[in-house]
Amino acid sequence: MSVPLSGQTDVSGHTDRSGQTDEPLRYSLLGSTLAVAGFQIGRLISRQRLLLAGLGAIFPAAVMMAVRRTAAEGLDRDLAVTMIYALVPEAVCMLGLLVTMCPVVADELERGTWIHISVRPGGRRALLLGTYLAAVTWTSIVAILAAFLAVLVARVPQPLPLVGMLAALVVLSTLGRAALFALPAVILPKRALVASVAVALVVEYLAGFIPAVVNQATVSLRLRSLLVEWMGWRQKLPVEMQLLIDPQPAWVQIAAVICLAAVLLGVAAKILDFRQFPPSVEI
Amino acid sequence: MLSLTHVTKVFGSVIGVNDVTVELGSGAHGLLGPNGAGKTTLLGLITGQLRPTMGQVRVFGERPFANPRVLRRIGFCPAADLLERRATPREWVRYLVRLSGFGRDAAAERADRELDRVGLGEAMDRPLSTLSKGLRQRAKLAGAMAHDPDLLVLDEPFDGLDPVARHDLVGLVRHWTVSVDAVGGRPRTLIVASHLLHEVEALHAGLAVILGGRLVASGTAGEIRDMVDAMPSEVRIRCDAPRRLAEAVCATPGAESVRFEGEDLLVVATRRPRVLAERIAHVAVENRFAIVEVAAGDRSLEGIFGRLVRLHRGVGS
Repeated sequence: MSVPLSGQTDVSGHTDRSGQTDEPLRYSLLGSTLAVAGFQIGRLISRQRLLLAGLGAIFPAAVMMAVRRTAAEGLDRDLAVTMIYALVPEAVCMLGLLVTMCPVVADELERGTWIHISVRPGGRRALLLGTYLAAVTWTSIVAILAAFLAVLVARVPQPLPLVGMLAALVVLSTLGRAALFALPAVILPKRALVASVAVALVVEYLAGFIPAVVNQATVSLRLRSLLVEWMGWRQKLPVEMQLLIDPQPAWVQIAAVICLAAVLLGVAAKILDFRQFPPSVEI
Repeated sequence: MLSLTHVTKVFGSVIGVNDVTVELGSGAHGLLGPNGAGKTTLLGLITGQLRPTMGQVRVFGERPFANPRVLRRIGFCPAADLLERRATPREWVRYLVRLSGFGRDAAAERADRELDRVGLGEAMDRPLSTLSKGLRQRAKLAGAMAHDPDLLVLDEPFDGLDPVARHDLVGLVRHWTVSVDAVGGRPRTLIVASHLLHEVEALHAGLAVILGGRLVASGTAGEIRDMVDAMPSEVRIRCDAPRRLAEAVCATPGAESVRFEGEDLLVVATRRPRVLAERIAHVAVENRFAIVEVAAGDRSLEGIFGRLVRLHRGVGS
């Protein structure tokens, strides 16, 4: 058998690896994660998904317009902000993440791509983190646009600082909740949507409103507390409402969301590392 | 290179692979078996997608499950069709190469080169949804080979290809195996699971036959033939008096059993078919039997495979 010289191509066209000029093969989680994120965003840029995103972006503005028309003396600023908060960092972000983050594994199984990805070094983790990155980016863009339109329609005084605050809440909401939805997505891939809705209701909107230690581990408590802090409402709130927010400063709330996201993602990644899907064709 | 020691994989109450022990060195290996035999489960264990319930799998001396060091040296082309519709083959293969640890530029270069090699040069920018199954199969193959693995695992790789494409890709894969020792001094291994035996033979691969999750035979095609030769083979005789012929051949040395199929067919299991044939000729002349047909067992690899399947299922001899 003839041995090709270093860097030359053999009969089959395969190149001698010792002489090739491209970079050596190495495992890079960051590179793989960015590759997945780019690929997932490419998937999201479809007519159907763009239409859905457009609806998500204009829905809060439509609600605010309807409310403003019924209010004879114009909307109270605090009420408008509360409504936009409920519509955007809560509803739009939740719905956006249900569509983009929940199918992280189920979509790949359905497309027959899971098997290609799971056999790559770090492919499983890159899939989770890349999809997380894509979901956070996509949902944040849609939600920030929704917040901007809603503030514009509500004709709230000093709109720009308000949009900035809402944008920060949107980013924190997507960071935390995308990680929260990652767990049911890897544990129950085929029931991820239902499981995530249940998690959202039970964890975020039930446990999150229980004034006890259990609500410390919810994103909704942190976001509410940040809203109250940044809007300067703390002194205005009645005592019973004070129980539903955390008295710690803003940086603690932000750090708590980031830590919560990191822990949830870490657990989801570990679970995904060990997930096995039987080859249903043969079984 | 690769060893499985008493490996069993159970899915609930279903046994995917049952107590398989095999050691494979570099070079080409064919894994043969009918649908549901456990081929894909076995490949799943080798490629680190499944963890054995019992036993030990070692690839390059390490456990492959959730092991990036091993996974980066494996290329896998699964049997399932690629339903990623919107991406083009170029985008898809670049994506996979990047997941194997290459940077954007290197991934682009490798993907383009491999797609050219598998004959997708002109179709690499068309969405996968617009390609025929055969072309998608080529894209899958390119994705498995583009990162230059040391172990290439192909599950029904030539499924859906036309004969010309099949011939081309068999040649390509064979060359890949032949070029093994020339690449960086590291030997390469090819494992092909298929139920099309001539494809595996064309790859000059060693064979392992899997049935019901068990490895029932392994070796070269010749060794498997020898093994099967040691088992009784069936001779089918169509004549006008099968029962009287049966009486006569029962006494033939090597004859193990007889059975009748229909009115005119006698099937004799024997370890010495040549002696039986001589005896049949003698008896037929002596008794003036009208022999219409004498057919020996199929000696082709297909026939051997069929016999192993029947033997495993307890049918026939």
